[in-house]
Amino acid sequence: MRINWGERTVALTIAIFLLAFLALPVLRVILVAFQDASSGAFTLVNFQDFFRSSLFRESFWNSLYVAGMAVLLASLYALPLAYFTSRFEFKGAIIVQTLGVLPLVMPPFVGAVAMLLLFGSNGSINLLLDEYFGFTITFMEGLNGVIFVESIHYFPFILINLSASLSLIDRSMEESAHNLGAHGLRLFRRIVFPLAMPGYVAGASLVFLKVFDDLGTPLLLNVNNLLAPQAYLRVTSIGIDDPMGYVISVMLVAFSLLAMGVAGLALRGKDYSTIQRGGGGLAKRRMRPWERVVTYTIVLFILLLVLSPHIGLSLLSFGTIWSYAVLPDGYTLAHYHEVFRESPQFITNTLLYASLAGIIDVMVGTAIAYLVLRTRIRTRHWLDYAAMAALAVPGVVLGIGYLRTFFGISLPWSGQPLASWWVMLVIALSVRRLPYALRACTAALQQLSVSLEEAAQNLGARKLKTVWRIVVPLMAGGIAAGFVTSFATAAVELSATIMLVSSESDAPLSYGLYIFMQTAAGRGPGAALGIIAVIIVGLATYLSHRVVERGRRLGAQLQA
Amino acid sequence: MNIPRHEPAGVRFENVELYFGSNHVLRDITLAIEPGEFFAFLGPSGCGKTTLLRLVAGFGEARSGRVLIGDQDVTGLPPWERNVGMVFQSYALWPHMSVRRNVAFGLEERRLARAEVHRRTDAALELVGLLDLAERRPAQLSGGQQQRVALARTLVVEPRVLLLDEPLSNLDAKLRVQMRQELLALQRKLSLTTIFVTHDQEEANTTADRIAVIDAGTVQQIGTPADLYDDPATPFVADFLGTANVLDGKLAETPEGRVFQTPDGFTVALREAQLAERSFPAGGACSILFRPQNLEITTTPGPTPAGRVALSGRLSHREFLGSLVRYSVNVKGATILVDETHQRGHTPIEIGVEVRLQLPIEQIVVLASRGSVANHARIPQSG
Amino acid sequence: MRVSGRFLAAALGALVAVSVASPPLYAGTIENKLVIVTSFPKDLTGVFKRAFEKRHPGLKIEMLKKHTNSGIKYIEETAANNISDMFWASAPDAFEVLKGDGLLHKYTPKTKGIPAKVGSYPINDPDGYYIGFAAAGYGIMWNKRYLKAKKLPPPKRWSDLAKAVYHGHVGMSAPSRSGTTHLTVETLLQGDGWAKGWAQWKDIAGNFKTVTERSFGVPDGVNSGDFGLGVVIDFFGLSSKASGYPVDFIYPPITTLVPANVGILKNAPHPKAAAAFVEFLLSPDGQALLLDPKIMRLPVNPATYAKAPAGFPDPFTDKSIGAAVKFDVKLSKSRYNVVNSLFDVMITYRLDDLRDAVGAVQKAEAALAEHPNAKAADLVREAKALIAAVPISEAKAAQPDFAKIFKKKRKKATDKVTGRQAEVEEQWDKMVKKNYAQAKAKAEQALAML
Repeated sequence: MRINWGERTVALTIAIFLLAFLALPVLRVILVAFQDASSGAFTLVNFQDFFRSSLFRESFWNSLYVAGMAVLLASLYALPLAYFTSRFEFKGAIIVQTLGVLPLVMPPFVGAVAMLLLFGSNGSINLLLDEYFGFTITFMEGLNGVIFVESIHYFPFILINLSASLSLIDRSMEESAHNLGAHGLRLFRRIVFPLAMPGYVAGASLVFLKVFDDLGTPLLLNVNNLLAPQAYLRVTSIGIDDPMGYVISVMLVAFSLLAMGVAGLALRGKDYSTIQRGGGGLAKRRMRPWERVVTYTIVLFILLLVLSPHIGLSLLSFGTIWSYAVLPDGYTLAHYHEVFRESPQFITNTLLYASLAGIIDVMVGTAIAYLVLRTRIRTRHWLDYAAMAALAVPGVVLGIGYLRTFFGISLPWSGQPLASWWVMLVIALSVRRLPYALRACTAALQQLSVSLEEAAQNLGARKLKTVWRIVVPLMAGGIAAGFVTSFATAAVELSATIMLVSSESDAPLSYGLYIFMQTAAGRGPGAALGIIAVIIVGLATYLSHRVVERGRRLGAQLQA
Repeated sequence: MNIPRHEPAGVRFENVELYFGSNHVLRDITLAIEPGEFFAFLGPSGCGKTTLLRLVAGFGEARSGRVLIGDQDVTGLPPWERNVGMVFQSYALWPHMSVRRNVAFGLEERRLARAEVHRRTDAALELVGLLDLAERRPAQLSGGQQQRVALARTLVVEPRVLLLDEPLSNLDAKLRVQMRQELLALQRKLSLTTIFVTHDQEEANTTADRIAVIDAGTVQQIGTPADLYDDPATPFVADFLGTANVLDGKLAETPEGRVFQTPDGFTVALREAQLAERSFPAGGACSILFRPQNLEITTTPGPTPAGRVALSGRLSHREFLGSLVRYSVNVKGATILVDETHQRGHTPIEIGVEVRLQLPIEQIVVLASRGSVANHARIPQSG
Repeated sequence: MRVSGRFLAAALGALVAVSVASPPLYAGTIENKLVIVTSFPKDLTGVFKRAFEKRHPGLKIEMLKKHTNSGIKYIEETAANNISDMFWASAPDAFEVLKGDGLLHKYTPKTKGIPAKVGSYPINDPDGYYIGFAAAGYGIMWNKRYLKAKKLPPPKRWSDLAKAVYHGHVGMSAPSRSGTTHLTVETLLQGDGWAKGWAQWKDIAGNFKTVTERSFGVPDGVNSGDFGLGVVIDFFGLSSKASGYPVDFIYPPITTLVPANVGILKNAPHPKAAAAFVEFLLSPDGQALLLDPKIMRLPVNPATYAKAPAGFPDPFTDKSIGAAVKFDVKLSKSRYNVVNSLFDVMITYRLDDLRDAVGAVQKAEAALAEHPNAKAADLVREAKALIAAVPISEAKAAQPDFAKIFKKKRKKATDKVTGRQAEVEEQWDKMVKKNYAQAKAKAEQALAML
C-alpha cells in the first residue's frame, strides 16, 4: 500500500491540535465533575450537591425555561413573515435576506444594555406607554429580559429555516390538497406546516442550544440565576477548584448534544424535500389592498423590533446622558473619541485575533475536508467528527477547560500563566468556530470533481502542488465563506473570552464592551465599541458575499 | 507540432488483479498493446474498462500483477512520474485558468523556459485549431472545443501513451462522427500509442486497430474489429459487436459427422472446419450463432439449396430501420432476427405471415454453450 | 599595595550593614514595568496610570482587572511564580486575607501628611502590610427625575428607606457579591445592633425592586432610572453625579468610612516601581487625582480638600461623617461568611416572599393609621416580629466553630464542610419561608379587619 507520509503528517498534526485544545480540556472538565474534590475518587456527590441546592435547581429550570420561551417567541415573530412571503407575491425575499444577516452582525449581549434603556421598566417605551396609556409592560424584568433580547436576536434564524422549508415544498402537494377541498389557513395548518416542520425543528433546536448556552447576555443584563452565568461565577469567585462549575459544564454539554440529536433526528426521519420532486414552493397570489396594509404594518413592526437593539445602541453611543427619559439628553462624538484615543487596543486586538482564528480555521478546515474526501487514511472521519464536536461545547465550558488544563503551566519567557496568554484565546476562538469553516470547506470541495486534480497529477504535478494550484483556487468561494464566518463570530465572542482574558491590553472588543458597561461613565464608550463591532462584522459579511458570488459563478462553470 | 521525441511505447498488462473493497473488479488481466496502435477497451458500463485504463495512468492500485509501459515496469510509480497523457471523460479543464494556462500547465510543471512553453503551447493549440481562442475561459467554449483543449493539454507534453476515457460520449451525434475521424487522423500523424475506452461498438469498430472486449472484469476477446465480428469467441462478444441470433443445443455424433441439434428438433450438419479449434464440454453442449443479414426470407415455399439449412416460422414483428427492415420470426419458440435491405418500392412482409428462412451453413459460428459462461456479479459503476 | 585585612573586613561589614539596613526598594532607578492586580474600574485606574506613566517616561503599567475575589484567587494561585507586583482594591478584608496567607510585603511609606485615622477607621494596616490611599463611605443615591415623576421625597436616613412610599423603588447589591455592600450591611449591624440591624435591613429589603449581581448594578440602575433609589458607596453616587446624570447622594448618620488600599506583593518582580507607585498615590498630586469627576473618592490627605469642589464632603472637618460607628474589623471578620449567608438566605433568595410580606404589613399599617384597632395592631406587630426574626443569635454567628462551616469565596471549598453549610442554610430557608408566609397572612388578616 503506497503510504503518503505527507498526508499522514498533516492528519497527525490536526489530530494533536484537536486533542490538545478541544478533547482534553472538555474531557478534563467532565472528569472533574465526577471527581471528589479532595480525594479524586469517582463520585456522583457533586451532582447530588448540585440538585440539592435550590439555587442550582432554579438556575437549571430557568435555563430550560428561558431557552424554550425564546424559541417560542422567536417562532411567533417568524410565523407571520414566513406566511406572507410564501403565500403572497410580496417583495419579502429581500426583507427576509436582510433580516437573516442581522443576527450574524451583532450578538445579543452587545445590544442588551441598550435594550434595557429602551424597554426597561422605566425605559423609553414604558415611559411613553405610561404617559399616554397608563400601563407598562415588563419586557425586561429578570428572565424576561433575557428571553426578550434573545428572541429578537434569533428570530431571523427561525424565519430563514421556515422560509427555506416552505420554498422547497412541491407545488403539486398544495394543488392536490386544493383538489381535495382544503384551502387557506386550514391548508397551511394541515399540509404546509407539517411539511415544513423538519426544517423548522432543526433550526429551532439550534436556537434552543444557543440560548441555553449563552453567557454574554445574562451577564450584561445582570441575570445570574441561569446555568452559564452560575458556572462563570463559581469559577471566578470561588476558584478553579470548585466542582460546581464543572457540574454545570457537564449539564451544558449534555443538553447541547441532546439538542443537536433532536435536530438530527428531525431531519433524518422526515427529510420530505428529498421525496418531493418539484419544489417550487406554494402558489402565490396578489394581495388585496387591505391585506397589503395589514401585511406591511406587521412587517414594519417586526422590522422595528428586530432593529431596536441596533437603534438603541446607536443612540447610546452618541448620547450624552440617558436617564429616565425617552431619548438621550443630548448627542456627542466624545465616546467615539474616547474609544479611539484611550483604548484602540480593543479594536486592533479584535482584528488580530479574529483574523488569526479565521486563518487557522480555513487552513484546518481545508486540510480536514481534503483528508476526508480525497485520501484513504482509515481514521480520517474521526477528525471530522472531532472538529464538529466543538459545536456541542459552550464557550464557558471551553474556557473553564483551558483554565483547568493549562493551569500551572507558565510561559517560559515571561512567567505569565499559559491560560491567560492571548494566543490561547485565539486558539479557543478558532476551535469554537472550526465546525462552520469545516462545513463550508467540505461543501466547496465536494463540488470539485476529482478528475480536476487527477488531470494535474497526470501532467506531472505532485499532490501538494495540485492542492495549491488547483484545489485551493477552486475552493476559494467556500474558503472565503468559512473565513468570514469564523472572523465575524470570533470578533464578537464573549463566553470563552471573558474566562480567558486577564489584562486589558490583551482584550478584544467584546471584553472591552463588558468592562465599559461596568462604569457609570462607560456606557457611551461601551456602546461606541458595540457599533464599531457591528460595522466591522457587517463589512466582513458584505465582502464575503462578493467573494462567494464570484466563487459561485466559478462553481457553476465546474458543472459544465 | 514536432514528431514525438521518443518512439511510441507499447503497454502491457500481466495478470493484473484489482479490488474495490471486496469487489473483484479486474480479474487476471493479461494483454499487450503494440507501440503506435490505436487500441480500444470495449464493454458495457461497469465492466472495469475505465479502471483498467486508469491503471496505466497511475490512478488506482492493483492488488497483484504488473503494468509495463515500453520496457519499464510502472506498477508502483505515482501518476506524476509516468508521462502518459490522459483525457478525462469530463475533460477536467480548470475553470479558473484560461485555455492557454490550461494547456501550458504540464510544460510549467516540467520547468521549461518561458519562451519554450509559449512556443509549444501555441503549436499544440494550432494543432487542434484553437489558437485564436487561447485567452478564453473553458466556460466560454462549446463541448467540442473543450475536448480539443483537453487534447491539446495532453499532447503538448509529448507523452509516450495517450489515454482517452469515453472521449466522444459527451458530444452530440454529428460531432461524434467528426471528432472520431479527427482523433484517428491525429493519432496516425503522431504515431502515438493510444488506448481509448468506449461502450459504443460503432466507435470501436470505426477507429480501433484492435479491440479488447471486456465484461465483468475479464478480457473476453482481443482482435481486429473484423475478427471479433466474424469469429466471436463467446456469445457475449458476439452479442456486443452487432446483433446476433444464438441457438442453444448440443452436438450429436452421427455417421455423417457431427450435427448440431436443438431440443426442439432443429438440426444442422456442421462442417468440421467450423468445429476445429473449439473445445466443448462433455455432453457436447454448445451454441450456434448467425447474423440477421445471413438469412434470406421469403414467403414462397421452395426447395432448400445445397449448403443451406432452412427454418420456417411465423413473422411476429417488423421494424423499419431506414436502410433495412428487421423482421422477428418465431421459429419453434425461438425468435430469429432477419435483416432485409430496403429499397424504394419494396413491400415489407406482413406480420403474422408464415415465412421461410434460408441460412448458408458456412456463415454459422459455433460457440461454447452460453450456459457454460459463468455468471459474474455486476461491477460497480466506477469500473 | 597590600590592602589591610581589617580594612577589608570593615568595608565588607559596612556594605552589608548598608544593604540590610535600608529597605532595598526605591533606592536608585526604578524598573520600566509594573503589574497591578486591581478591582478598580477603568475610570480610576486609567487616570492614575496615565499620570504615573507621564511621571516616569518609559515605564508601562499593566492593569490586571479582576473582581476582588477573583483577584485574591489569582494572586494565591500564581504565588509560586509571581508576576504581579501589587494588589489595589477597596475592601480592607481582602487585604487581610492576603496578609493572612503571607502574600504581602511589608512597606512603610515615606510620604508625610497622612493622618492615622479617617472618621474612626485606621487608614493603614497597623502591621504595615497594606496602605490606605483613599476613603469611602456608604450612603443613598437617588434619581431626581424618577423621584419627581413618581412624587417621592428624597431620603435622609437608612430608616427612611423602609417607608412604605418607597415600596418597589430601591435597589441594592448583596454582601456575598460585593465586599463594599458587605461593609455597608455590617456597619448597620454594628451601629444598630444585631437584632435591630437585621430588622432594619429586612424592612428596607421589603422595598427592594431587585438585589443586583454586583455593586455597580446599583448606581447603574439609578443612573438609567431602572429604580429610583440605591444603597451605594459614596464614589458611585458622586461620580455619577459628576458625570452629568440627574442623581444625588447623601451620607446617612449611621455610616462608616473605610479606606481603599494598596499593598505590595511578596516577591514582586518590580519592587522599586511598586514602591514608587505607593508614594505617588499618597503624594499631593496623586491625592488630587481622586477629585477627578470620574473618580470622586475621599482623599486621605486633609490638605487635598482645599482643591475640592464646593459641597464635596470632608471627613476631616465634618466630624459627623463616619464618626457614629466605630467599625470593629475583627468582629466583621469573625462572622464574615455567616453574614453573607444570612443575607442571601433571608433576603436575596426569598425576595419575593419578603416583599409580599412587607408590602402586606405596609398596607395594614396604612389602614391602621386611619382606623386604629388594637387587635389588628397586635397582629401587625406579630407579623413584623416574624419578618424580623433571625435564625441565629449574634453570639452564635461569631462562634469560631460555627463560622467555620461557612466557607465561601475566601477559602478553597473543602469537602464535607460544604455539605453542612448547605444543610444549615436549608434549615434557615425553611424557617424564613414559613415566617414570611405567616407574616403575610397575619397582615392580610389585620387588613381585613379594618
